[in-house]
Amino acid sequence: MNKTLLGYVPEHSPIYSVHPFVKLFFLLVVSLFPMFISAPEWNVGLMLGIMLLMIYSRVSLRTLKMYIPVAISMGIIILLSYTLLGGVQPQYQQITRVLGVSIYWERLRDALVVYFRVVPMILSMVFFLSTSRERDLIVAMRTIRIPFVVTYVFAMALRAAGMVLEDFHIVRQAEQARGFDATGKSIPYKIRKYVMYMIPLFALSLRRTEEFTNALVARGYAFAGEGARVKRADFVLTHYHFSVMDGLYTTVIVLLFAAILVARYGFQRLTVEDSYFLNWLYSIIVSAA
Amino acid sequence: MLIGIGFVVGAFGSISFPLGFGVNFFWTGIVVQQVGPIWFGAWGVIAGAIFPFFSNAIAGTPFYVSLAYIPANAVQAFLPAWIFRKFKCDPRLKKPSDYGFLLVGMIISSAFGALWSTMVVLRGFGLLTAESTPLFVWGWFGGNVVAGIVFNFILLKALSPVVIRTSGFVKRWWS
Amino acid sequence: MANAIEITNYSWAYAHGNGKALKAVNLSVEQGECVGVIGPNGAGKTTLAYSIDGLVPGQYHGIKEGTVQIQGREVEDYPKGMLQREVGLVFSDPEAQFTAMTVEDELVFGLENLGLDIPEIRERLDWVAELTGLGPLLQKPPYEISGGQKQRVALAAVLAMRPRVLVLDEPTSMLDPLSRKRVFEVLGQLRKVQNTTLILIEHGLEHVVPLADRMVLLAEGEIALDAPTPSFFEKLDLLHHHGLHVPGAVEVVSRLKNSGRYFGELPRGVEDARLVIQEIIDASSTKQGAV
Repeated sequence: MNKTLLGYVPEHSPIYSVHPFVKLFFLLVVSLFPMFISAPEWNVGLMLGIMLLMIYSRVSLRTLKMYIPVAISMGIIILLSYTLLGGVQPQYQQITRVLGVSIYWERLRDALVVYFRVVPMILSMVFFLSTSRERDLIVAMRTIRIPFVVTYVFAMALRAAGMVLEDFHIVRQAEQARGFDATGKSIPYKIRKYVMYMIPLFALSLRRTEEFTNALVARGYAFAGEGARVKRADFVLTHYHFSVMDGLYTTVIVLLFAAILVARYGFQRLTVEDSYFLNWLYSIIVSAA
Repeated sequence: MLIGIGFVVGAFGSISFPLGFGVNFFWTGIVVQQVGPIWFGAWGVIAGAIFPFFSNAIAGTPFYVSLAYIPANAVQAFLPAWIFRKFKCDPRLKKPSDYGFLLVGMIISSAFGALWSTMVVLRGFGLLTAESTPLFVWGWFGGNVVAGIVFNFILLKALSPVVIRTSGFVKRWWS
Repeated sequence: MANAIEITNYSWAYAHGNGKALKAVNLSVEQGECVGVIGPNGAGKTTLAYSIDGLVPGQYHGIKEGTVQIQGREVEDYPKGMLQREVGLVFSDPEAQFTAMTVEDELVFGLENLGLDIPEIRERLDWVAELTGLGPLLQKPPYEISGGQKQRVALAAVLAMRPRVLVLDEPTSMLDPLSRKRVFEVLGQLRKVQNTTLILIEHGLEHVVPLADRMVLLAEGEIALDAPTPSFFEKLDLLHHHGLHVPGAVEVVSRLKNSGRYFGELPRGVEDARLVIQEIIDASSTKQGAV
């Protein structure tokens, strides 16, 4: 198994033959697709497409499990914002009343549109994180000539998150080994105890900061001055080759994006009015109401 | 040094547990975002502005939503540190005025953060309706201020004496 | 030609520290010389290593007195990032040294900082991977390998930069005896082929002694003893006083010398010691035969 930013991908996966730039390009462009799609069924299609890509890349779909709570809570927030907290809108069609608040069809429809926009955007991020390593991020950014210091900061930030989370588990285990258990305790108690984590964790991070800075200096890295003016060879790029297939993938992504824009603004498709799903839902809900 | 500071600031953000698209009503990341720049100056501001981007991304926030939060994060990181330096406060919180200025900085920066994040980012992406926005602004603001009040003072009081001994401590903005 | 390292009346006190970490240290090391540094915990060994590599005073607040010159130039006078091209430092905790996401990137990081081109980087990478046996691990993250492998990576990353002065702060503490032996063989080779100056800070003396031209005992921030290796271990009482463990073979012969049974140089290893003892026994039987 090879560790990625979000988990592990098996030793053999077709994703390894894809240039890191293509993966970054996928994230940057495919994340934009849902912004121009209002019809939920198309965004669901996009979600399925990304999930198929994950299966093809041999990424475990169990990775998605950790996003279920986020997807649910996000859905609830959007739904509340568009329904119970959406205010009085006499111009809209009322479908029911809940707790004395009018629920409108247009609001429900918009909540669905927004929700199904966000989920594929999250999925494209999950796909990127579960198929890329820190090294891929460096390669992708260096391929498009982003300065080394910026790429390095990005990669280190991701690594830092992992390291401090490890420290967090160590501190927590140490607390538990001494019989600390916050289960069933009050929130003020938990907050007080949270400080017990924060202070040692912060102190550990400060130590790591010092060590890491020393390591950079000791290896001749300089942020400014004569030492910083050397031309870096980007040895890592020698392992990657932008193949014809990579060019093809990039072209497909660009063409898909162009197709979405043309469909939306040229032919007024992918809109709310154009949605089979919303029209079907409307016929059920509003007719029933 | 910036990369080193990232260890502290970036990772703490990822320990918080957002509700979705970066929303968290008790975001402990704000603590690092506000305390970091007090200790580490402009490096802490840069780190505080960009590192929540990663923690949000891993926590399931869409790429462009995370990107749009950056100005709010930058102001939340910068303002308390600026007030601290402007009024020559001591990170070890030795005088009552140090507490006062920190509180003012936290409140103003959290207010900006809450307004930007809800009115610009969440509204901009259509995630909230206009009618529900005030509630989210207050929720966001309250969550950040409460987390700040609970942790900022404790962290500064407990760790500033240690931090100012290290080479990472930045008295002005860059050194 | 200037000495590789010239430390004169050097004292260092960390800001907010308890007193001076190093006190009036004087140390001259010629190019190609190997100096072993020993001392109890808290003696100032790591501070000395950091001072030679410029981390002190560069990365720490404190008060410096005296001078630390590398190749005839004061450490603070080197532009940022340039001193480390002369001096390589291997930290005692290898993980603290890692700056990259794979072993290969780790080995290459310093070479890129030097501004080397790709063929040169490839040549050095192959060389150091072969030298330290890291070939099969190149694509692995340095955090996911064993302690001994991590230490080899840390060492290899610095060796690849081919510094003229190499400071090693307990570089083999996590290695098994065989790997440790191999590391010291590599260091010996480096010294012979590249005339590298070596400063070896180690607890396990059995490997340092055969390699070191000189030994330095650091205690409470001061140089308590600085002598050529053969005569260094004659001061057994001083070494024991500071809680240091002298290799058994060396100690036996040193005691024989102190009791007037032997007058030559102290041995550097078990085999040398065996020969010396054999010589003493032979001399003793010849003497008895004569009587």
